[in-house]
Amino acid sequence: MFFTLASGAFAALALLQQIDTTVTAQPGQRLVVDSYGGEIAVKTWGRNAVRVEADPPSRTSVEISSSGGVVSVRSEGRRGPPATVDYTITVPAWMGLDLSGVYTDVKVAGVRAPITVETVQGEVDVAGGEGTISLRSVQGAVKLQDAKGRIDVHSVNEEVRVSNASGEITAETVNGDVVLEQVDATSLDATTVNGDLGYDGPIRNGGRYTLSTHNGDITLAATERTNATVMVSTFSGDFESDFPVPLRETRKGRRFSFNLGGGSAQVSLESFQGTIRLVRPGHVNQERDQEDRDHKGSDHDDDSAR
Amino acid sequence: MSDQWTDRLSEYLDDELPPDERVALEAHLRQCAGCGAVLADLKRIATRARGLEDRLPERDLWPGIAARIGLDTGERPVVDLDAVRVRRRVSFSLPQLIAAGIGLVALSGGTAWVLHPPARTVVAVREAPAAPVVTVANRSSVAGQRYASAVADLERVLDQGRGRLDTATVRVILRNLATIDSAIAQAQRALAADSANVYLNSHLAETRQRKLELLRQAAALVSSVS
Repeated sequence: MFFTLASGAFAALALLQQIDTTVTAQPGQRLVVDSYGGEIAVKTWGRNAVRVEADPPSRTSVEISSSGGVVSVRSEGRRGPPATVDYTITVPAWMGLDLSGVYTDVKVAGVRAPITVETVQGEVDVAGGEGTISLRSVQGAVKLQDAKGRIDVHSVNEEVRVSNASGEITAETVNGDVVLEQVDATSLDATTVNGDLGYDGPIRNGGRYTLSTHNGDITLAATERTNATVMVSTFSGDFESDFPVPLRETRKGRRFSFNLGGGSAQVSLESFQGTIRLVRPGHVNQERDQEDRDHKGSDHDDDSAR
Repeated sequence: MSDQWTDRLSEYLDDELPPDERVALEAHLRQCAGCGAVLADLKRIATRARGLEDRLPERDLWPGIAARIGLDTGERPVVDLDAVRVRRRVSFSLPQLIAAGIGLVALSGGTAWVLHPPARTVVAVREAPAAPVVTVANRSSVAGQRYASAVADLERVLDQGRGRLDTATVRVILRNLATIDSAIAQAQRALAADSANVYLNSHLAETRQRKLELLRQAAALVSSVS
């Protein structure tokens, strides 16, 4: 019995390869990781070097190379597609990242450089990033925090969430919410088809902010002192505001606009059949939380009625 | 795959980049075949946009339009489209020209959508002076046909390649396409009752654009695993 267990464990160990490789990072180099499945976790340290740790199964090889402007890490199946590989990669904070995979979750923390992430079935969770930041997943949620620059976050079937970030922001999904909290956007384009949109952050003079959904609510933080021309468009939705606004027209199925303060920013709020709300800064999440409670309550009522 | 310069190509094409960024981008273009290909596409679309034929209306429509929107009905001549064309740039006015933009994108054909990033920056970067109203109906109709053609092309790519994708991914894509189709149908029903509604026209065009983008994304996935 003992012999059987021991030999089985030994065989399992033999099937895994221990990879712990460190290569020097030259200034300006980017890290490119191409993974089929598993997790890519990237963290930072104070050394100008890239450390790659992974335990791939024996039928999958991991190639690590450094040439020109790129440190490259990629997995390849010896026969057929590569197996799942979990990477822990440590990089200097200045190093740009280009991470891609299919069945791949991606986590990044502490990088102060451009970041590109593309995955199909996987969550994306990035803390950090400066410059051009592009995060995309088809089936996973996309989260970004502590970032600044030109930000493009995109999912198809899950929520997109950006917090504590600044810059030009594009946030899109089809079936999910778009949540932007503690965000200082100089321009914003946030869209979903079936989900809510929330923006809690300053409206900058001269900025352009577009929030558009078909089947969901929009909650925007603003005050009477916000300098913005606000255009509201809906077909069968409603409009509410925490403070009086000088509406010109309030009929359903119509557009109406109003000025707040000097009106220098352009704000466009469009929901085909949801409620568009202006709330005080800091209250965007309260509205969302209240709605979630209402939905759960009505679900519960429905269940009870069955 | 796009990089930090891809989204700036439209600005470059319109000569709107600051000099230092222009120099940097041109250096990048010398090394990046992908951006070079996208730029070539943008130039081709811009050229075709400039070459679109403006059809003169068979009769002056302005008096009827003015009456319907409550303005005075004083006689105005039909707009001189040749004069307009001289100052027209690549960009168009909202909302019908969003649809025209979709048509322009569709010009490249569904297969091109698989291979290159969307050209939406060309049609959405600025608000131009209002285009002549009299040309919109024809252009929207043509754009609608091109949209349908592009959708059909991409659906065919997805249908033929779906066996190469994970079944869960296919399900998610189809479910989200259905979500968008539902939104399109609702917008169309609303428009049927209120065809002059600017928001509904714009919303329908943008939702159709979303469908094209998702189809293109799906087709790109198929292409990437081929």
